[in-house]
Amino acid sequence: MTNQEKIQHLYWRAGFGLSPNDQDKHNWSVTKAVNNLFKEAQKLQPLAMPKFDSPSRAEIKSMSKQERKDLRKEVQQMTNDVNADWVRQMASTTSSPLQEKMTLFWHGHFACESKSFHLAVNQINTIRKHSLGSFKDLVLAISKDASMIFYLNNQQNKKSHPNENYARELMELFTIGRGNYTEKDIKEAARAFTGWFANRQLGTFNFRDKAHDYGKKTFMGKTGNFDGTDIVDIILEQKETAEYIATKVYRYFVNPKPNTTHITAIAKVFRDSDYDIAKMMRYVFESDWFYSQKNRGSKIKSPIEFLVGISKTLGLSFGNTQSLLFPQRTLGQTIFRPPNVAGWPGGKAWIDNATLMLRLNFAGIIFQRSELLINAKEMPEMAKRGKLKKLAIDANLQPLLQTVKKIKEADLSNTLCQQLLQVDFESKDSFIEQFAKTANTRQKKIQAFLLGIMSLPEYQVC
Amino acid sequence: MSISRRKFLGQSALTAVGGMLIPSFLKGFDGRNTLLNNSSNKLVIIQFSGGNDGLNTIVPYQNDIYYQQRPNIAIKKSDVIKVTDELGFHPALKSLQGLYDNGDMSIINNVGYPNPDRSHFRSMDIWHTASNSNEYLSTGWLGRYLDKHNNNNHQALEMDDTLSLALKGIEHSGFAMSDPKRLQRTVKTPIVKALVKHHHDHDHEENVAYLYQTLANTVSSSDYLFEKAKTYSSSQSYPKNKLGKSLKQVAELIISGCDTQVYYVTLGGFDTHANQTMTQERLLKAYAESVSAFIKDLKQHNQWNDTMVMTFSEFGRRVKENGSRGTDHGTAGNLFLMSGKLKKAGFYNDAPDLTTLDKGDLIYNMDFRRVYATLLDKWLKVDDQAILNRQFKALSIV
Repeated sequence: MTNQEKIQHLYWRAGFGLSPNDQDKHNWSVTKAVNNLFKEAQKLQPLAMPKFDSPSRAEIKSMSKQERKDLRKEVQQMTNDVNADWVRQMASTTSSPLQEKMTLFWHGHFACESKSFHLAVNQINTIRKHSLGSFKDLVLAISKDASMIFYLNNQQNKKSHPNENYARELMELFTIGRGNYTEKDIKEAARAFTGWFANRQLGTFNFRDKAHDYGKKTFMGKTGNFDGTDIVDIILEQKETAEYIATKVYRYFVNPKPNTTHITAIAKVFRDSDYDIAKMMRYVFESDWFYSQKNRGSKIKSPIEFLVGISKTLGLSFGNTQSLLFPQRTLGQTIFRPPNVAGWPGGKAWIDNATLMLRLNFAGIIFQRSELLINAKEMPEMAKRGKLKKLAIDANLQPLLQTVKKIKEADLSNTLCQQLLQVDFESKDSFIEQFAKTANTRQKKIQAFLLGIMSLPEYQVC
Repeated sequence: MSISRRKFLGQSALTAVGGMLIPSFLKGFDGRNTLLNNSSNKLVIIQFSGGNDGLNTIVPYQNDIYYQQRPNIAIKKSDVIKVTDELGFHPALKSLQGLYDNGDMSIINNVGYPNPDRSHFRSMDIWHTASNSNEYLSTGWLGRYLDKHNNNNHQALEMDDTLSLALKGIEHSGFAMSDPKRLQRTVKTPIVKALVKHHHDHDHEENVAYLYQTLANTVSSSDYLFEKAKTYSSSQSYPKNKLGKSLKQVAELIISGCDTQVYYVTLGGFDTHANQTMTQERLLKAYAESVSAFIKDLKQHNQWNDTMVMTFSEFGRRVKENGSRGTDHGTAGNLFLMSGKLKKAGFYNDAPDLTTLDKGDLIYNMDFRRVYATLLDKWLKVDDQAILNRQFKALSIV
């Protein structure tokens, strides 16, 4: 890879690609860029909690049907707004790309659907706080997170009637992976997490002494009066846990096709650092193999990567929440709404005839303000279909135009290809240039090039 | 030699392979059973989204518990279309009575799965993937069918703009289309034409090749479906609602000899927590009238014996009505199979037992995957176990 290719590759994986304002970074060394990414990530930028006077139970009880309906609508709107806020934040030039990307990664890993927006915001801010910290702290914080406690039924996990749901997913999906524990381990772990409840109103962890099983448990070969914290400790003592997370990290940040040598190396760094996520990620981004040609463009962008990426490049502003939600729903990735606790499968699963056409047409929809030719599937709670005629999206091309100001007209399309694509594409004399022939000003020509390039299947990979 | 565009598109999956790195997803084209399936039967799936109230659909009109538990929303005995000593149809299903009498309809009660989940998403997920309730699969049961027995890229067609999980496979997925004309508009653009040509002339790495291939397939399927949709225009009168429109489209494609084998249609709005009566009546009426028009259409064209319609919902609803003249999420529900060639018509099993409930919910005694297994094995004539990853006992209906 050339230096520019390396930097772009890094920024696509550790973030959502470079924005036109970042063009000077093309000349940075990898070391400098990595240091900068981690430095920016140190400042925590939590998602803002929307102001909302949540009515008490008594107040809700005294409400009329219409008032209750309005309340539900308002809460749904808040949930949508929170989603839009986060996507806007991911695309913002003042956010830390790495912090946003890590938070998104862990959101997919600890996949959870929240009952209400305030639980969702709390959870995502908890994840954000630990996204580059200690994995042990992260797992513990998730185990005490209200949204997760409700989602995986730990609220029903009592000494008298243990509920195994959280214990099972903690091991199967969040830490060690299938095949490394027994059904007995699940039962014992569930006992250790009894009484780990949450307060629905406040969204806080609420340990209930009376529901907790203080008895002896035997878990992964150890015996003691374990509680949830001990269980997490024991799981993290197993080398399989580091390997499981390293595999996931490799497939998400490096290449969907696992490479055992590199995964083993990542796992070792992770385990030797007592599960320091930042150390692990730094190791990945600073490894030579990360910049190997075969990793470049090896990922199909997730809908969020696609949406945030195009938004950064074109300086998009979204006029309303629906314009941010609709693409997520129709492209198959709505944040805060993973398909199930296993998260989004990713890769080729993002692609079918409908999602591909929408992706290829997306730049056209923005540039030509064309009508949407599709409807989203309805949500079961709402009888109405997800109809939206037009997206309220505006582009600000000025920063991008600045970056190619000094480029000769003959080199424009190839320069833009290099900036926008993570795979090679020879645009000289291609249909991309053909389509721009009728453009009579430099700006129109650039716009035609952008439209062409962003309509390429090549634009869908990073 | 010049190859016409149409011909090229039609064959692109095969011809384009020659000069490029063959991605793994294409390799199967040689070895797999691609030319003919074992069966030319058509399967039409109608999904009721939101959880249809089974007890008010097939009504246990002799059951006192039913009337006790539902003082406001029970279907009056005098309104029920009585088909057995115990059970009858919701009056809105009137247009299906003839079908039932004719032996073209089979009703399966108490359909569900172990450890039922009362969340719409999760339960629909389970129905779509045919997983256990503590298991998470990222492919649908029809998607896995396509992965093993793919003939063409619109072999399973969802009449919608986006594709459901049920039709998602790993290497092959179903095709989503709500309107052939509209689809054709999105693929008949200069850029798409240029991309298809570019694909033909260049080699690409795996992911990019996959995207180009999906695009080429989309264009060729769109062309094909657009042509087929023009071949026959139904003279049958269908209700003007969305389901009626979709089923008319399906009938037209079937009658014009379209090589799609599985059609997937959704009717939503069944989440009747409040004021259920009006909503459910409207939906069931739309369903019954659309389906009966559809079947008339197929019968007139001698296609009914080769077509099977399955109707399901992600769960039934609680036995006891709630405080808003509605019902909350429940468990087991009923499932309908319709065809001109049923081996066993009428009621397949006993009515729901309202005396033995699990926390107020019906207890399933028919795993929905037995129905899937039956359809795969007996109707589509493929190895059901390879698709469902487990063995399920087939029903003697098909």
